[in-house]
Amino acid sequence: MQREQSLAPLWQPKVRPRLGQHRALNKPLDKGTLFMRLTMATFLALTVLAFASFDYQGINIYNAFLGTIDNFRVLMLSPQLTHFSLVEAAEGMLITLSLALLTTVIGAILALFFGLLAAQNLSSPLVSSLIKGGVAFIRAVPTILWVLIFAIAAGLGSVAAVTGMAFHSVGYLVKAYSEAFEEVDSGVIEALRATGASWWQIVCQAVLPTAQSYLLSWTFVRFEINFVGALAMGAAAGAGGLGFDLFLASAHYFDLREVGFITYLVLAVALVLETITTQIKVRLRVQT
Amino acid sequence: MSLLTVKGVSKHYNERIVALSDVSFAIEPGEFVVIIGSSGAGKSTLLRCINRIVEVTSGVVTFDGLDVGSLDKRELRKMRTKVGMIFQHYNLVNRLCVLENVLHGRLGYKSTWAGALGIYSEEEKAQALRVLRLVGLEEQVYQRCDQLSGGQKQRVGIARALLQDPKLLLCDEPISSLDPNASKVIMDYLKKINTELGITCLVNLHQVHVALAYAERIIGVKRGRVVYDGLTEHLTAETIHDIYGSEAGDLLLGSGGNHVG
Repeated sequence: MQREQSLAPLWQPKVRPRLGQHRALNKPLDKGTLFMRLTMATFLALTVLAFASFDYQGINIYNAFLGTIDNFRVLMLSPQLTHFSLVEAAEGMLITLSLALLTTVIGAILALFFGLLAAQNLSSPLVSSLIKGGVAFIRAVPTILWVLIFAIAAGLGSVAAVTGMAFHSVGYLVKAYSEAFEEVDSGVIEALRATGASWWQIVCQAVLPTAQSYLLSWTFVRFEINFVGALAMGAAAGAGGLGFDLFLASAHYFDLREVGFITYLVLAVALVLETITTQIKVRLRVQT
Repeated sequence: MSLLTVKGVSKHYNERIVALSDVSFAIEPGEFVVIIGSSGAGKSTLLRCINRIVEVTSGVVTFDGLDVGSLDKRELRKMRTKVGMIFQHYNLVNRLCVLENVLHGRLGYKSTWAGALGIYSEEEKAQALRVLRLVGLEEQVYQRCDQLSGGQKQRVGIARALLQDPKLLLCDEPISSLDPNASKVIMDYLKKINTELGITCLVNLHQVHVALAYAERIIGVKRGRVVYDGLTEHLTAETIHDIYGSEAGDLLLGSGGNHVG
């Protein structure tokens, strides 16, 4: 009986005020709401202030807007190659994909070793936290900055781009891999230790087989990221490939049609990559 | 000479958590000993102290004439090959097939790289198949372990331990995750291994009635101390009440209490 009584309020239907009625009264102005409103008001004030204080230099906003729309229309609706042949564009794409593949493979191999040492269940607490701290630092600095840092030694170009991108990939994959390793059931590791297995035997016979689907999907995610990175580095660091072609077409020839064509090409490849990734994940999930 | 002696073993996880305090007993070759005690009494820690999965705080464990605590890494691996272990949650590598899991029992005997790469000799594979036949899993050799039932998984665990060619089998609550039928099958296999292969068994159990049915000798553990060590037929209802606390003791014994003592 007592139990029923205590439960009773839970089962009573809530009486809802009609829409608009007493709304202000129902929601008192607490700290959170006040803070939100103040923030919004500040943003609004800053926006107005910014637009009012721009140096427009006599630009007609209406015309500029129309011009932008027109540029966009040319870019998207009339893609065309003028300075490169289709073969050259494909070659550029191949170089960009190779850049992405190379940096991912280098990153994955290094990350596999450091990931094992960073996993708490396979390593000592000191080594694990040292590596995790180190890769957190590497990840916190953007890829482009690493490329520029390596460019000091190697000069701007493909070497700096590959080193910098691989470096950031290591930072990213060590975190992903070590977390995958830490998910491995501690009982399985214990069982293999109890058979007299050594560390490498436990890693190869229990940890890697258990974590392999995670490792593969993280590596593919990183490959996609590196593909985008390779495009950007082609332009920014002169690493070559389609990114550099894109840079030439836009900043050198001012050819919107060509930029449009390259954009579509990149989009197509990105879609293919995405599809492959999804397929692999589905297949891995079926296996699990 | 005793196969295993545990002398004055204590294990403190930290200042407040004391898992074992001053535990001593000896196991003779060929014995089938069951350790009973409630959850958290220190049974699992006790088993893990024997093959140094858990390091003892103080005390000496001697296995087959070796002072386990003084072994270096290589010697410890060698010693562990002689001590098979099976677990409540089976602890198999689910993504690998039954045969691969059973062959893990040979890892301690192999060179690091042969073991890591999974290169086994024909002899080892033949032995693995023989052991699988022994536990009645010859049909499931190439099946992935996550497709097996609980009882089958535990039999794979037993096969893995047997492939080590052990002198001692440590069983940590081998039937706690199994239904009564599978539990009986597993306990019968353990008993068979003990009597036919002559492998000494040290089994942790929750279930007192199972312990009474299978054990020759029972060790009762309560709050990290041994409170009973003797033949099964000398175990009294009072001792069981003492080990588990009186109310739980009633539930455990129930009508079965009459064949105690």
